[in-house]
Amino acid sequence: MEIFQGVLYGFQVALQPINLLYCFLGVFIGTLVGVLPGLGPAAAIALLLPSTFAVSPVSAIIMLAGIYYGAMYGGSTTSILVNIPGEAASVVTCMDGYAMARQGRAGPALGMAAFASFIAGTLSIVALTFLAPLLVRVGLSFGPPEYFALMLLGITLVTYFARGSMLKALMMAGVGLLLGTVGADTISGRQRFVFGIQTLADGVGRVPVIMGLFGVSEVLLNLEQIGGTREIFAAPTRGLLPNREDWRRSTIPILRGSVLGFFLGILPGAGAIIASFAAYAVEKRASKHPERFGTGMIEGVAGPEAANNAAAGGAFIPLLTLGIPANAVMAILLGALMIHGLQPGPLLVKQAPDVFWGIITSMYVGNVMLLILNLPLIGLWVGLLKVPYQLLFPFILLFCLIGSYSVSNNVGDGIVMWVFGILGYLMKKFDYEGAPLILAMVIGPMMEETLRQSLILSAGSFAIFVSRPISAGFLVAAVVLLMLPLVRRRAAALRTADAE
Amino acid sequence: MPRDLVGGLFWLAVAIFAASQGVTLKLGSLSRPGPGFFPFWGGVILGLFSLALLARSLGQAERLSLAGIRWPMFLLVVGALLGYLLALESLGFVIITVLFLLILFRAAGRRWLFSAALSLVAAGLAHVIFRVWLKTQLPVGPLGF
Repeated sequence: MEIFQGVLYGFQVALQPINLLYCFLGVFIGTLVGVLPGLGPAAAIALLLPSTFAVSPVSAIIMLAGIYYGAMYGGSTTSILVNIPGEAASVVTCMDGYAMARQGRAGPALGMAAFASFIAGTLSIVALTFLAPLLVRVGLSFGPPEYFALMLLGITLVTYFARGSMLKALMMAGVGLLLGTVGADTISGRQRFVFGIQTLADGVGRVPVIMGLFGVSEVLLNLEQIGGTREIFAAPTRGLLPNREDWRRSTIPILRGSVLGFFLGILPGAGAIIASFAAYAVEKRASKHPERFGTGMIEGVAGPEAANNAAAGGAFIPLLTLGIPANAVMAILLGALMIHGLQPGPLLVKQAPDVFWGIITSMYVGNVMLLILNLPLIGLWVGLLKVPYQLLFPFILLFCLIGSYSVSNNVGDGIVMWVFGILGYLMKKFDYEGAPLILAMVIGPMMEETLRQSLILSAGSFAIFVSRPISAGFLVAAVVLLMLPLVRRRAAALRTADAE
Repeated sequence: MPRDLVGGLFWLAVAIFAASQGVTLKLGSLSRPGPGFFPFWGGVILGLFSLALLARSLGQAERLSLAGIRWPMFLLVVGALLGYLLALESLGFVIITVLFLLILFRAAGRRWLFSAALSLVAAGLAHVIFRVWLKTQLPVGPLGF
């Protein structure tokens, strides 16, 4: 079996001491940024990307991936103990997790969050292991029209899952597409939107844009909201193990959350945040006592925590098999692979099997490390929560400055980050989401290339997108998604008209 | 002013600019799309969405409000970031980092002695972590660090 050979080979790579070290560094930093509110995995990975230039691509990606799924573990700690989500994907964990902490059951809540994360994380990697090679085969049969249609569907999904207005999300996707065209045109080589600015000649840097939108702007926003001291429950270093009753109630939610999270994770734009909310809603509906949710139901911790970790695994599928990022973090990983001279997509498994299988198997190892980091060492992370934000934010800003500068040792990239920091702050104030912008900016150049290649192939006829069944299918799905909000609003309007 | 009016106008301007640049860059033909093809149509689509937002904003009850912004802190942080970037190459990484942290700790209400000590220690640590350990290329100042 091809897959088992791959997994075996992957473990040989992932278990090399140097890769174990980088995996540990990754999950450690991941837990750290997960615990700290106001610093997310996207900004952290963007920050550390430049420091991986000197190491091998496998080690680099193993570490960066570790930050991502590690953050899913860390986020729950802050939610449960402080009632502030350490990570956007842990927002729902606050509801019942914090309620459990108030009842003196912080230990089992933290313990169950860690176990649920571990079980779901591992299950989703198993699914990833088996599903990825299949999708690679599908991806190999795609031509430019299929890729273009798929990316269009991806962007539509991102805007569909956006939290606020879909119209604003579509606008941000449009801005991202335009930002992606800055720099030399890949086909004709002509400079576009450069205006003699050296920094823009190679395009707008992804890392500075991400650090601006997700790092600097977040700090600017948090500085308005802080004030007062956080109440942290006493460090529960003992009594972390959930009892038999907790396990009985949590087993099914964990399994349901794993499946739901994994599939939502694959979809561009859905990801860990939506998965955790969906899992909470499902558990509430499935429960015999939905009215007791929010008062410390362990199902409300286990389900969402399983879902966000499973989603983190699922998100790797489109990146590793099709070269299409499903969220902002995957967009940076895509950039990281390319900086290391690898082309993400269906050919990755052939060209760099060590990277493909090494990343996947390193996640099994990383999840075991995370379980250890989050159970016996929980006291360390609780201590970290006691550092006030006023002392923390100068360091976050400093990291952003160093990170954006060191991508290419260029002050211009720092200025790009500064501009997008202010823009991101205004976007947050006026309810524009950053994720569609980033995603469109990253896949924009690929979309442009495949669109133009398709049109050259078809001698200028758009029929090529609908005459090929797979691309037609993607396009139909995209159109349906675009229409859904309109249809729903019309239906709601009709219903209120009937009622009157 | 309706809340989304300014945003709609801003993005509409961006869209018009992009589309006009697209025309200058040459659209090419459908069978051979040129370098301006994608920016032009991208601009057109963004423009249409912006117009939709503008139309929607006219009936909007929510007004534009900047009341929640803590201007002194906002301007200080934004200014400190820009100052850091502009002075980084002439002052060198360590000096500008000390100054940057010192200003922000002071702004956050910490005492002089505490702020100075923490800034010095942190800049030293950053020097060790980034320059020595991670081998990041950071600008060297007139004093050699």
